[in-house]
Amino acid sequence: MKKTLVLTVNGERHELQVSADATLLRVLRDELGLYGTKRGCDTSACGCCTVHVDGNSVYACAVYALSVDGSAVTTIEGLGNGDRLDPLQDAFIRAGAVQCGYCTCGMIMSARELLAGTPKPDEEQIRHAIAGNLCRCTGYTKIVDAIKMAAGS
Amino acid sequence: MGGADLIGKSVTRPDALDKVTGGRGYPVNVNLPGMLHGKLLRSPYAHARVRRIDTSEAQRLPGVKAILTARDVPQIPFCPVYFVPSDGETLIRDMLILGDHVRFAGQPVAAVAAISEAIAEAALALIDVDYEELPAVFDPEQAMADGAPQLHDGVARNIAKNPSFEFGDVEAGFAEADHIFEGVYQTQRVHTCYMEPRVCVIDCDRDGHFTVHSSMQHIFGLREKLAYALGIDESRVTVMKPPYIGGGFGGKLDMGYIEPLAALLSQKTRRPVRIEQTRYEDFICTTRNPIKMWLKTGVKADGTITARQAKSILDSGAHATHGAQVIMVHGLFGMTFPYRCPNKKWEGFTVYTNNIIGGGYRGYGAPQGCFAVESQIDEICEKLGLDPIEFRIRNALRKGDPHPFNPAWTLNSYGYEEALRRGAERIGWATRKPAGSSSGVRKRGIGVGTQGIWVSGCMGFPDIYEHTGAIVKLNRDGTADVATGTVDIGSGAITALSQIAAAELGIGVDKVRLVSASTDTVPFDAPTHASRVTYSSGLAIKAAAAEAKKRVFEIAAGLLEANPDDLEMIDAQVRVKGSPQSSLALTEVIRVAETPFIKDTLAGPRPSSPPQYKGTIMGSSSLAPPENPSPAAAMFAEVEVDTETGQVKVLRCVYAHDLGRLINPNGAEGQVEGGIQQGLGYALMENLVFDQDNGACLSADFLDYKMPTAVEMPRVIESIFVETNEPSGPFGAKSLSEQCVTVPAAAIAAAVYNAIGVRITELPITPERVLRALGKL
Amino acid sequence: MALPELKEFCRPQSAAELSSVFETYADGALFVAGGTFVHGLEARGLLSGVQALVDLRRMGLDTVSADDRGWRVGATVNFTRLGKMPGIDAPAFGALRDALACPPPQIRNMATIGGSIAASVPFFDVPAALLALDAVVITGTGVASRELPLAGVYTGLFTNSLAPGEYISSVFVPRPAARTASAYLKLETNANDLALIGVAVRVTMDASRRISDPRVVLGGGLNATHIRSAAAEAVLKGATASEELFQRAAEAIGTEIKPMSDHRCSAEYRAAMGKVYVRRALQRAIDRLV
Repeated sequence: MKKTLVLTVNGERHELQVSADATLLRVLRDELGLYGTKRGCDTSACGCCTVHVDGNSVYACAVYALSVDGSAVTTIEGLGNGDRLDPLQDAFIRAGAVQCGYCTCGMIMSARELLAGTPKPDEEQIRHAIAGNLCRCTGYTKIVDAIKMAAGS
Repeated sequence: MGGADLIGKSVTRPDALDKVTGGRGYPVNVNLPGMLHGKLLRSPYAHARVRRIDTSEAQRLPGVKAILTARDVPQIPFCPVYFVPSDGETLIRDMLILGDHVRFAGQPVAAVAAISEAIAEAALALIDVDYEELPAVFDPEQAMADGAPQLHDGVARNIAKNPSFEFGDVEAGFAEADHIFEGVYQTQRVHTCYMEPRVCVIDCDRDGHFTVHSSMQHIFGLREKLAYALGIDESRVTVMKPPYIGGGFGGKLDMGYIEPLAALLSQKTRRPVRIEQTRYEDFICTTRNPIKMWLKTGVKADGTITARQAKSILDSGAHATHGAQVIMVHGLFGMTFPYRCPNKKWEGFTVYTNNIIGGGYRGYGAPQGCFAVESQIDEICEKLGLDPIEFRIRNALRKGDPHPFNPAWTLNSYGYEEALRRGAERIGWATRKPAGSSSGVRKRGIGVGTQGIWVSGCMGFPDIYEHTGAIVKLNRDGTADVATGTVDIGSGAITALSQIAAAELGIGVDKVRLVSASTDTVPFDAPTHASRVTYSSGLAIKAAAAEAKKRVFEIAAGLLEANPDDLEMIDAQVRVKGSPQSSLALTEVIRVAETPFIKDTLAGPRPSSPPQYKGTIMGSSSLAPPENPSPAAAMFAEVEVDTETGQVKVLRCVYAHDLGRLINPNGAEGQVEGGIQQGLGYALMENLVFDQDNGACLSADFLDYKMPTAVEMPRVIESIFVETNEPSGPFGAKSLSEQCVTVPAAAIAAAVYNAIGVRITELPITPERVLRALGKL
Repeated sequence: MALPELKEFCRPQSAAELSSVFETYADGALFVAGGTFVHGLEARGLLSGVQALVDLRRMGLDTVSADDRGWRVGATVNFTRLGKMPGIDAPAFGALRDALACPPPQIRNMATIGGSIAASVPFFDVPAALLALDAVVITGTGVASRELPLAGVYTGLFTNSLAPGEYISSVFVPRPAARTASAYLKLETNANDLALIGVAVRVTMDASRRISDPRVVLGGGLNATHIRSAAAEAVLKGATASEELFQRAAEAIGTEIKPMSDHRCSAEYRAAMGKVYVRRALQRAIDRLV
């Protein structure tokens, strides 16, 4: 049975009909074409699908879409301002924190939540804030560097 | 900036902007009109025969468009490994797209295409399969015993491959030794854990031509294997090169079941078919093979190795796949080549079991060997009171030695000793304490692991492709399009290859673009594997760029009234060497080449420039590299072991590597840091485990398969790059990627020994194993 | 999150609506809040026949209040909000702070206090801490309500004493006595793991270091459910805090645990670590008082 779902995604209101088992991840990718949110595991453990719901980071693969009816969702496509990158996006490029890049968007979304609450995090705070995001390419070193760079710390 | 001064600069990755803003280029994003979704039905049994499959109920489910079982697919045995010729005389072809003999839990027995994934999934549940369960064997040594269940017809004792070699006289070598050391070293099954799942979208058109989008490390390999398994000509398959893929690490070096099944489902439905693997399916489709190695070494009192003998048993799982190649690389590069020793003997066994199939994984047999060889060296040095650094240098090969892989080649660049000495100095080796001597509950230790001889590609390997090519084309705006089949799997190929092209052409790296390509449009290219891209693809791109530049000089020489040999290109200006005032913008040369022969001026038509100047300026190459130069690596780890819990924390790593010439420092550091994440996981935690009764995977998601997060990684990773300037390499470069994954386990194991005075010879070094080794369990 | 029989995702806004959903689906209804572990249970074959997911988060179960007696926390309050409860910085709530810090932010923002209890997973962190804090669970069914100590909720691995149709509406966490501290310690393979073992302790200690009203809670695979170790608590009660005492308390758990062996580690290792972690957790708690 499909039900109506109203979501505001990156500031734009959407009204959709979705089935009971639809996850937020599927809706973002398959219904709204927001490919920046990636499926890595579908079991809330890799972090590639990290987005913000009402400002808080969540695993979109573990969120039933209908459970967040009426919420505001921010994905990687919603960061920055027009052509201006979010400072984290810019720092990830400059620090060399991007390799295969598949984890990158989720990583940036986790880091964005961290910096919103803790503008000048120390290294341990950064590492724990991204502990729910796996990366197989970078060893996290340059990701941590990038977050420090964006925080100016 | 443009020219050779680009080499050694940390330029920004051309693909980074796209990736931080969403990353459109991943194959997982390919979405074609009318696309169907495929799902595979997988056997719950590890060893079974399919008696009968009834798909009738599934066929009737609305939305189901096609179902395939064994009788619907070609029964052509194939080998899925991309880089070996499909028809090789000694190649083991033991897989079918679908067959009636199930050899591992999770092997597909049917495939469905439907209008949605959910319907395809629902259809699977409606397929009724009648299995006859067969006795299964999961331990390779048991599989080699008399009376064990046989997996493949005509393969006695389940031994798929049994290579061996002998140099010198091992018995005499051991007789000459003052001390003999023996040990058994066991490694586990681990997964590459690329983050982007394996996925494909395949479209078969009315003419029976297949267009393939897939997340893989080799477009030409997929074309060849797919055509072979389907029994069609290669020219009927076009594999599109993805702009990039979400990691591979060797885990996407073989055709999966999904590609031939998607192709056949598309052929049957006349619609594009997409199959995306779940993480569970990813976990069971490729692994690094576990190897058990018996190693015996004879040494003289002064630390000279006199003889070495080893036996290795590789658990290949249900099919040979990479196992037949991995065992050779393991025996040669893992055991035989790195140290000088006149008397060596080795025998390897690639053994079928009812475990899941293996695959490629960074290091390709070397990590298993390195762990054994380096652990034993650490033990030898400890027992004989020798310094592990000096012992290694005494027995290592040196610059100028013949290459052990091919004596016709010389080790023209080889910085093993320098890497080892610089790393030792950085970690503070001189301050290392005797093993187990630190007090307290948490004990610290320092260890080293090295690998001498390794590859820059596969030149010289029997039946492994290595040739590669590129097309470099100059545009009117002064930019260069570089087309190559080399897939960027995350390692920064796009960046390094852009730098090489720009450096050769004498233009800015921002003026170079790695453009879209497919098997239709570019010369054959070997896969992105074997640490080969910077060296081999780099040489091909440099050659193609050089050819384009030569054409620029031919035209410019006429325009400047100079000799082409006297010209150089710097900062997109063609100049007469030594007379910089006599120069011409590259764009002007291109304009001359691209404008019509007759120019229509206000004064009437006039010849613009001679006809021999006309035509797009381009260069192409297709070549095999001349050699296979060896890098060298030494890693030092400092660990802290909690002797009450057995937990090991890696505090600091120093990794020193001879890569010939550094092309992109930031990218090279990234390779090392990521390699150490994989090596640390291999050393301490990663393990794909299976139910020993039924072969079911117990660690098929990231809740159970543990790899290091940012929290477990050392806070300090220091890279030292030794530049020995390899004469055969592009701008002196050779390879980097794999050794940084190969050496960490040995270094960490040695550091654990140094901390607690007890040696662990089985990976992963879990807290429980440490505690047991300490006698506390 | 493949639940093949799933028909409906329900979002009741009242107990009456919830009752009607339950009447329709009965055993086919699965109550969820954050839903972060649905896939974990599903992937391990522990969910079958789920026809309706019933999201409890619109039923007004997300209020919090604090008074002299303690906190009353709505069942659907998530970990992030729980971590901001007034007074949580006190040593007494150390175990809860420790436990809440374990999961990654993506889980903390979704997982709820009620869900973490109702899932009945011994490998979870927060229930261990709540047990050490004597939490009381208040349940509802739409028509009736009852209170039961958290310790009375668990009946076995993934099973609990909640009746069909009964859901957790709130959790009461009593205000701990003065000079009380608690701590939670977890053995894990990486920072995003279920506990191999988890130990929560609570002690009240007077000026002469005499311990009263101790709690020792054992989780992870030390038993099929989170349990309190009466034996360890008996050793601690009335005794003077010391390393030696903590060691004796740790040894005492040996008779009460039934550790499991699985692919992650052996029962023997879990048993040994249980002892180390009881001692270390006690020390960590005490350190918060000095």
